[in-house]
Amino acid sequence: MFSNATKRTTTQKIIYIILPILSLLLIVMAYAFVQRKLPMLLPDAAGLWNRFTKTFTNPIKNVNLIGHILASLRRVMIALAFAWSLGILFGVLIGWNRVFKALFGSIFELFRPIPPIAWIPIIIMWFGIGEFPKILIVFIGSFIPVVINTEDGIRLVEKEYIDVGRVFGANRTQLLMEFVVPTALPAIFAGIRTSVSSAWTVVLAAEMLGADHGVGALVTRGWNAGDMALVFVSIICIGIIGAILAYVLNKLEKVVSPWNN
Amino acid sequence: MEQLNGLVVENLSKTFYSSEGYFTAVEDVSFTLNDGEFLVILGPGRSGKTVLLNMIVGIEEKTGGRILYNGKEKTGIHPDFGMVFQSLSLMPFKTVMENVELPLKLRGVSKKERRKTAQHYIELVGLNGFEKSYPHELSGGMKQRVGIARAYTANPKVLIMDEPFGQLDAQTRYAMQNEILRIWEAERRTVIFVTNNIEEACYLGDRIILLSDCPAKVKAVYPIDLPRPRNMVAQEFLRIRTTISDNTDLAI
Amino acid sequence: MTENVGNREEKVLVKNLTKKFGDLLVLDNLNFTIKKNEFLCVVGPTGCGKTTFLNVLTRIHEPTEGDLYIDGEPANPQKHSISFVFQEPSAFPWLTVEENLAFGLKVKKLPKKEINRRVEKIIELMGLQPYRKSYPRELSVSIVQRVIIGRSFAMQPDLLLMDEPYGQMDVKVRFYLEDEVIRLWKELGSTVVFITHNIEEAVYLAERVIILSNKPAGIKEEVYIDLPHPRDITDPKFIEYRNYITDKIKWW
Repeated sequence: MFSNATKRTTTQKIIYIILPILSLLLIVMAYAFVQRKLPMLLPDAAGLWNRFTKTFTNPIKNVNLIGHILASLRRVMIALAFAWSLGILFGVLIGWNRVFKALFGSIFELFRPIPPIAWIPIIIMWFGIGEFPKILIVFIGSFIPVVINTEDGIRLVEKEYIDVGRVFGANRTQLLMEFVVPTALPAIFAGIRTSVSSAWTVVLAAEMLGADHGVGALVTRGWNAGDMALVFVSIICIGIIGAILAYVLNKLEKVVSPWNN
Repeated sequence: MEQLNGLVVENLSKTFYSSEGYFTAVEDVSFTLNDGEFLVILGPGRSGKTVLLNMIVGIEEKTGGRILYNGKEKTGIHPDFGMVFQSLSLMPFKTVMENVELPLKLRGVSKKERRKTAQHYIELVGLNGFEKSYPHELSGGMKQRVGIARAYTANPKVLIMDEPFGQLDAQTRYAMQNEILRIWEAERRTVIFVTNNIEEACYLGDRIILLSDCPAKVKAVYPIDLPRPRNMVAQEFLRIRTTISDNTDLAI
Repeated sequence: MTENVGNREEKVLVKNLTKKFGDLLVLDNLNFTIKKNEFLCVVGPTGCGKTTFLNVLTRIHEPTEGDLYIDGEPANPQKHSISFVFQEPSAFPWLTVEENLAFGLKVKKLPKKEINRRVEKIIELMGLQPYRKSYPRELSVSIVQRVIIGRSFAMQPDLLLMDEPYGQMDVKVRFYLEDEVIRLWKELGSTVVFITHNIEEAVYLAERVIILSNKPAGIKEEVYIDLPHPRDITDPKFIEYRNYITDKIKWW
């Protein structure tokens, strides 16, 4: 009847605002402490900041930090566009059509447990280290969760919803488009959310194994050059971008399914 | 042969088979539905009532007997049959208006026309002003009103209601019982109303078919001749209620 | 029950109980006492703040003002025991019926002999022998609910709160279970607060009925039901009580 927010007293509200800030502070303090005791393991704050600004003043491979981030994001976006459209289509088909499920379901079951990173050597051997193979690897990594969640969502639609459609005379296409797919939308969205984090992970792995541009390439470069500050700057970027993506998706879901809050 | 224009259910049965054995939910149910009648099917606990209804509507296969409608055997879905479901049946992603107009949308009725019909029934169930609300923003009683409006929008000749008030609290339930009678009197459709509530059955029905507990068989048929509006605490009402109650299986 | 309610000692005192959510006043200064071994029903119109009332009594919400006192002290979960039965049965699925009955007693670290004595007593009073080794999954909803009720009585709590425990049952089962709860209450001498929307149920069970007013909930009236158990719903005096309370909260 009442949302959690109204239940909480003001003091509780303040505590829940302070706690995340506190935990962030603790991490920073722990970092500073370890850094002071063991300076060879971690770069200091000034070093980090200098390395960060240097990615702009002294671009790596002619591209500054933003450029590398955009290179990674571009691969992710292209791969996701394909993974979402094909993954939802494929998931709906195997979730809804028994013939289709019988034909392709077991093949998919076979491919599904293979971690996307395991494809990297094969794909590099086949296609080299250009743009296409990287996007392909990211596609594989993000396609699978979309299919799994879509299929589950379609299959688990309450029978009663389908009964409603049938009683009111819906044909099979109408049943699917008016009743089943919208009901499965939250599950499909769960797949989309997983696909984004998976894509972000896989793109970095792909870039680390061979790329001129991209955040993953920065990590590898820092690693090879013993430039620990660069590795850290890259990792912090990876974390921040991942968090931003998750946040954007959350907002997007609220726009796409307003009945679900 | 007035039965030509009605629904006749003959020896309807349903047995579910599985690897562990079989289970009979409905056994040999027969009755005739009169035109314009408010028929209540009363059954205790989980006595196969929903299975019986689903067979009549045509979303559940029967394993025995037959259903005649207008003199012809009825199999599968028929546009003259509408249904109000127990719960969970409103599309959460559609507004009240979109839910109510859905049956017409499925038939390809133009947007303008279906909105007009839907609006009429939204007003009839007293939900004007809530056309743009989503189901989760409504109370239980209001959701069932949407379900009723949607069923009427499909313009059925026979309206089947499957325990529509089972999830409502006692007071909302009384209010909705009066609502359903008001709408029934305004629209005059033939109604089959399923419930496990004896008081509700006596309050609403022209006739009550009492089912036994698992498997559902016809145990007795009670015509209720009390004039409406009925008084739930009148001696005559309570007498009928007690008679039926004494004859009902205890489904513990 | 032979003893007049008024002469029994005071067990629970609810004093100035008020709950606000922001500026919204939901419970408005409730004051009442519950006598030892009393069976009290609380009824109110739909949406009157019944859930909030219950949540404040169970301390899911802190009251804005006022408090609940048991034996003259502010209610304290460490010291006093309050048991709850909700509408949806919630037995532990991994425990058998008898283990479910014993669960709370084990948590309270009662001696083994006492646990066995109480569990056997409940099983005997409720006729649960055939199910004692069964898991909840194997039982019907009504039996699971009976196990929960038995479990709560076995705790011999200072206060037993029941929130529409029979809301989903059919009428025949409901009366059967209501007779059973009266039997438990008389045998075990518990102090019971039973919250319901169903006026007939309240009059059937209660020694005293508290009628809540519409939002914000306050106490509109208290009615003593001076009829011996088991009660007859067709008895003119019963109907008189039922009509009287219905008039007090009628909104439909």
